Amino acid sequence: MNKEAPLSITERDFILNALRENVRLDGRESDQLRPLSISFGQEYGHVKVKLGKTSLIVRISSEVTKPRDDRPFDGIFTIALELTAMGSPAWDNGRQGDLETYVTNVLDRVVRHSNALDTESLCILKGVSCWSVRADVHITDYDGNLIDAACAGIMAGLQHFRRPDAVVKDGQVIVYGVDERVPVALNITHKPLSITFHTFDEGNRVILDATRKEEQAAEADVIIGMNNAGDVCFLSKFSGSPVDAMVFVTKSTVAQEKVKEINGVIDKALQADLAKRAKGGMLEESRAENDR
Amino acid sequence: MSSPLILLPGDSVPSEYLPSSNSSAPLRLGPGLRLLSQPPSSSSSKTSTGHVLAATQSGILTTDPKRNAVSLLSTPNRRYVPTSNDLVIAQVHHSSPDYFHCLITPQTPQVVLGQLSFEGATKKTRPMLKQGDLVYARVLSTGLGAGAEVELTCVNPATGRAEPGGLGPLTGGMVFDVSTGMAARLMRASSSSAENQESVDGLVVLDELGKKLEKVGGFEIAVGRNGKVWVDCANGGDSAIKATVAIGRCLSAIDEHTLSLADQKKLVTRVLREMKIET
Repeated sequence: MNKEAPLSITERDFILNALRENVRLDGRESDQLRPLSISFGQEYGHVKVKLGKTSLIVRISSEVTKPRDDRPFDGIFTIALELTAMGSPAWDNGRQGDLETYVTNVLDRVVRHSNALDTESLCILKGVSCWSVRADVHITDYDGNLIDAACAGIMAGLQHFRRPDAVVKDGQVIVYGVDERVPVALNITHKPLSITFHTFDEGNRVILDATRKEEQAAEADVIIGMNNAGDVCFLSKFSGSPVDAMVFVTKSTVAQEKVKEINGVIDKALQADLAKRAKGGMLEESRAENDR
Repeated sequence: MSSPLILLPGDSVPSEYLPSSNSSAPLRLGPGLRLLSQPPSSSSSKTSTGHVLAATQSGILTTDPKRNAVSLLSTPNRRYVPTSNDLVIAQVHHSSPDYFHCLITPQTPQVVLGQLSFEGATKKTRPMLKQGDLVYARVLSTGLGAGAEVELTCVNPATGRAEPGGLGPLTGGMVFDVSTGMAARLMRASSSSAENQESVDGLVVLDELGKKLEKVGGFEIAVGRNGKVWVDCANGGDSAIKATVAIGRCLSAIDEHTLSLADQKKLVTRVLREMKIET
C-alpha cells in the first residue's frame, strides 16, 4: 500500500510554469547542484553523503573468497543498494520497487561496468583466492537524485577504503591484520560519476539535480556517466517522452563540469580525512625515515 | 506567569494550570488534549476546575485566558494527527458517489469529504473535483478507535456557510511542505494581534512579505495544520511565480533555522533581492 505521495495538479502546473520562467522552487539555476557534503566515518570506506535533503551512507567492505571459475584472474566487486523504510515512508522493506531496480542498474553500469575499480588487482592467487569488495548503500533520507548521490558516495568510498595486505608465501595466502601491516588502497582506474538531468515542457527545459517533487513532475530523465577526462561511460534515456539529440550534446559539457566539481569535493574531503588520520596513525608509525 | 509545564502522553493536566474562567464561554481544547470527565452541567458555568484533561501527545501546555482555551504545543516535527476543527489542505485521491476520498498526509489512510459539504452545494451545483485537486477543509470528526474514518468538511453545518472564510477548492498557486510545528506557528501568528507577536514564537515573516509584496499585488495564503501551506499571487502578473517561490523559500528557511525577528526581516529582503522582485 505504500506509495510515493502523488503530486497535486497545482504543484505539477506550478513547477512547470516556474521552469518556463527559469525559476526553480529552491531558487537554484537550472544547472546548479544542491549543496553537496561528503564526510568519512571512523573506519576506512565509511562515507556519508548529503546532497540537499537527500542523504545516504556508503560502506565498503572486503573479504577473501574464491574467484569465479570463468574469471580466475579477477576479483569480485558488487554494489548492494536497498531502499528500506529508513529512507522514505514510501518504501517497503524487502520489496523491490521500480526505483530500486533502476538505481541499482545505473550504479552498476556507471561504476562497475566502466571498470572504475580494477578487479584484476583484487586477485591474490589465480583461481584460488581473491578479494571480494562490496559497496553497501543505505539511504537515510530521500529528496530526489538518488543516483548521483549514491554514485558520488560509492566513488568516494572506493577511494577512501583500505583493504588488509595479503601476500602469497609458498602457495599459502597470508592476510595481515590492519594493525600488522599498512592496509592497501584499492586500485582505481578512473573516477566516473553519474549526472542526472530531468526534462520538462516537451524537452525544452532541462534541469540538473532535481528534487523529489521536480522528479515527479518531470517528463523524462537523461543520465550521463562521465569521468574527469570527459570519457562518457554511460548514457541513458530510459523512459518518458522524447528528448532532442542536441540535449545530449549540450548537457555532456555541463555534465563534465559537474563531474569535475563533485570530484573536487570528494578529493578535498579525502585529503582532509587522510591528513587527520596521518597524525598518530599506522602510516606514521611504519614510515622508514625519521624526523630530525 | 508560572513556569511552562511539560506534559507527556497520559499525563493529566493539573487544574491550577487551566484558565480560571470568569467568562461563561466553555473551555476550548486544542490539539493534543482529551477531556476525560467534566463537572456536572449545573456547576460548570462558574469554573473550569472540575474538568479532567489528559495529554495525548508530549508538549508544553499553553493557555489563552481570553478565549478560555487550553492547548498543547507539540514538537515542531511531529507527524500530523488529525484533530477535530483543524484546518487542513487535502488532496483529492478519487471520488465515489457520496464522498471525495482525500489524502491529508502521504502514506496514511485516506480521509473522506462529503460531495455536498461545500458552501451552497446541491446535487447539481457541487464542485467537480478531479484526482490531484486541492481542498482547504476543516476536520469535522476523527472517530474513535483504530480504523476510524476521518471526515472533512468545507462548510459549517449549522450555518451552511464556509466558515472560517476561504474553505473550499484551492485553484492555482502552489503548495509548500513545512513541518507541522511551522504550520502551527503560522496559524498562531495570524490569529494573534500584533502586540503579543513576541510571545507567539516571533513570526513576522508574513507581515514583512505582505508589506514588501504589496507592489506585485499581494498574495493569498492558506495554512493547513497537516504541514502544507498554499500560496497564490493571483494579481502578481509577470512576477507572480517569482513572488510565490520567494514566499515558499522564506517559509522553509525559517522552518529549518531558528531565526530572530530581525533575521527574518533580513531573510525576506535577501530572498526577494535574489529572486529579483521589486519591493
